[in-house]
Amino acid sequence: MRRWILAAMGGCALAMAAIPAQAAWKSYVNRELGFSFMAPGEVKTSIGNSRTELAGPRQSIVYSSVEDNIEYKVTVWSFLQAQAEGATLLGERTYLFQNHRKLLMDTFARVEPGKDAVYGRKMVIELPDNKGRVTGAFYFNKGKLYAFEATVLPAHGDFGSPEPARFVDSLVFTLSRTEPGAVELKTPELE
Amino acid sequence: MRLTALTTLAGVALAAMTAPSMAAWRGYISHPLGFAFAAPGDLKVEKGMYRGALAGQHDTLIYRFLDDNIEYKAVIIDVTDKANDAANLLGEAEYQFQQNKKLLMDTFGRVDRQNGRKLTIDLPNNGGRSTAAFYFVNGRIVSLQATVLPANGDYGTPEMGRFIDSITFFTIRAPEDAIELPAPPK
Repeated sequence: MRRWILAAMGGCALAMAAIPAQAAWKSYVNRELGFSFMAPGEVKTSIGNSRTELAGPRQSIVYSSVEDNIEYKVTVWSFLQAQAEGATLLGERTYLFQNHRKLLMDTFARVEPGKDAVYGRKMVIELPDNKGRVTGAFYFNKGKLYAFEATVLPAHGDFGSPEPARFVDSLVFTLSRTEPGAVELKTPELE
Repeated sequence: MRLTALTTLAGVALAAMTAPSMAAWRGYISHPLGFAFAAPGDLKVEKGMYRGALAGQHDTLIYRFLDDNIEYKAVIIDVTDKANDAANLLGEAEYQFQQNKKLLMDTFGRVDRQNGRKLTIDLPNNGGRSTAAFYFVNGRIVSLQATVLPANGDYGTPEMGRFIDSITFFTIRAPEDAIELPAPPK
């Protein structure tokens, strides 16, 4: 009897050791950039660079984390002097996201109800060469273009994982709706 | 021989009479609004009203054509007072177009450095099928909408795509004989 109990306990311990460690999801807020979101893992801040036909060369602020072989990334570009071009800049960004990739989903996205609504797009693509699946949500609000992208890497393997949707759907623009205790994100200086 | 020829001539005449009359497509241009498009039929200029939770209430300018039971409309909504909210205003207009309707197509619309959307919906109660394109240009929502009415019945007609794909925002691309669109009625 005792041997069976010990074997069962050993089996449980072994199973728990084999389960991938999953970090808690935390809330993050950047009041200067006007949004908050939730993500697992340690969120790091960096500066990105991009160049597109309409937007031209532009630096961006990037917040990213990796957890359980899923990459979570928020990219914010400022277009304070081109807000009236917001619709077409958003269109360009969403087009480039899926260009030359297999598009699985392309649908309306909306954050906040009623008069506070922010309209964008939600898309899911497969990366070429079996490099993974990316869920993206894109918005242009108050002079800033936001891209939320969660990439399930091949090492994770569960391309139907709910975690990418949890990430992109955690976005909030009305900061009074941010979870209490959210971690304040710093805004790096761009060159 | 003569009887055969007369019968043939009568048959051709009968076929010509029963075929739907289809007007020629003409180019139209608005230099103040900064776009051009092509459409068949006679032009009517109308004023309308657009409402949205974000946009509020705005007058709309509608250039309308009807030919072979297909309605063609160029709808211009001036939201210059809220132009900085361009992306959200365009998103709201697109969303409202398909809300509570059967959405058949929702895809990118890209023309002349403008990025918008193209959507196709079935109208409720077998009211027809509409294809529309939406762009935000110079403080205005510009939407071309073609609706195949039940009396036409050919919901796969290429005329809808021909209309919405005829738009250009580079007026240099408009045909030389494009007709200048009139200002709205006061």
